Amino acid sequence: MSPEMISAQQIANELSETPPASAVSLQMSVDNYLDVIRGVIDLFANKKDMDVIYVTATISSDAIKRVLEALDIDSSRVYFVDCISHIMMGAQSAQQDEHTTLVESPTMLENLMLKVEYLIRRSQSKNKLVVIDSINSLAIHNNNWILSEFLHILVSGLRSREAYTIILSVEEHSTPEINNMVNLVCDHGIHAGKKQEG
Amino acid sequence: MESLEASVDEMVVPSLFCNRKETIISGSRHSQESMVQKSGERERCATGLEGLDTILYGGIPRANTILLTGSCGTGKTSLALEFLIHGAIKGENSLFISVTENSEKLLQNIMPYKFFDKNLIKSGRLVFVDLPIMYERLGMTKAELSMEEIDLLAAAISDLAAELGTKRLVIDSITSVCYKLKTSEKIRDFILKLGKALSDLNCTSILVGEVPADSTAYSSFGVEEAIADGIILMANMERRGDLLRTLQVIKMRGTMHSRAKYVLDLTPMGVLLVPLLKGGSTG
Repeated sequence: MSPEMISAQQIANELSETPPASAVSLQMSVDNYLDVIRGVIDLFANKKDMDVIYVTATISSDAIKRVLEALDIDSSRVYFVDCISHIMMGAQSAQQDEHTTLVESPTMLENLMLKVEYLIRRSQSKNKLVVIDSINSLAIHNNNWILSEFLHILVSGLRSREAYTIILSVEEHSTPEINNMVNLVCDHGIHAGKKQEG
Repeated sequence: MESLEASVDEMVVPSLFCNRKETIISGSRHSQESMVQKSGERERCATGLEGLDTILYGGIPRANTILLTGSCGTGKTSLALEFLIHGAIKGENSLFISVTENSEKLLQNIMPYKFFDKNLIKSGRLVFVDLPIMYERLGMTKAELSMEEIDLLAAAISDLAAELGTKRLVIDSITSVCYKLKTSEKIRDFILKLGKALSDLNCTSILVGEVPADSTAYSSFGVEEAIADGIILMANMERRGDLLRTLQVIKMRGTMHSRAKYVLDLTPMGVLLVPLLKGGSTG
């Protein structure tokens, strides 16, 4: 990690200060991904005894599982909604199991919501966290209109279920439109990217 | 442009919002229960499918006969079965009349539901009957039924429902029954008689209809849709190469309802619904 970036512990501390059912925009740098994962899953969710529903549209759930394993993070309460493995034709597809639910394509945003809903209902835990990784990847496959509508419905629904939502965005790939879209539905913003000059 | 009714109704968002039991109308929130009281008055048969009950402002008006229609693979049978299972769990005797598929095979399909309990069948709360066996016992072996046989069939089904104390009934599918009736007059006569008899028993019924995938009609014979108190349309919708299962309530006598289109998923927790995203589309 480069010295000017926010640490995993700082991310977890900031998240801990947000009230339940908050929606948080977490903007990170591509260089800070591992710290973000550690901060969100290990130091925040696991410590608070939460079930995590991790929506992955950037890299496959298998790859994230390997990252969690490498970081020695307990992933027993992490459930993946994997929107990317199915469309990676030829790549080794993730197995659909108790911890992984596949969505055919990141364009099927309604199905993504339905899988999140299913996992929320299945969860026995009082505390739940939904992580969207990332809005930039979803924006590759969907236009801003439908993505904005999706975020609004998803976040409102999760709020009513008293679940935390964290929307990850990558600052190097973000646009003002995407930032506005995320800010519209989020209550808090955490900047885990490169420090801005001045 | 869609009607005002549709645009207001579309604000009812089921599923993810359901636990809140709130409906957003013109910026203010009302509980689902108060909406039901306001809208009137008819006792509801809550389907048990949260999303659908939200769309219907609390459920199907009790004793209504509903046409649940759509092409193959849209989830009609699953939805109808879930309606019966939830009824049986609530203590309402439920009857599934299977026309096309035998009950044993159907039972295999309902086992994955997390809320399904085999004791519902053992206790008689949930009963499966194969219509071909009824045809045989009633001596209805011809390809086309006469008017007398139609009366006999409607009476046999309503007698069975009365005997079992049935409060929820599904016929899957009414289209297959209609093939034995042939003419519009006979179909109208059969559905009217059966619907009246079941309504008198305070039984809420779902008639499952089948239409071809490319059909714009709600029923194969064009009669069923006119007689039913409500129409729930299930479909496969293609969007940019993705095939989505959708549900839309076209009509429902005795209640306000959303007319928007919803996307559904069949899960071990039952049918889940979310609003279809429009993405700024004007089409």
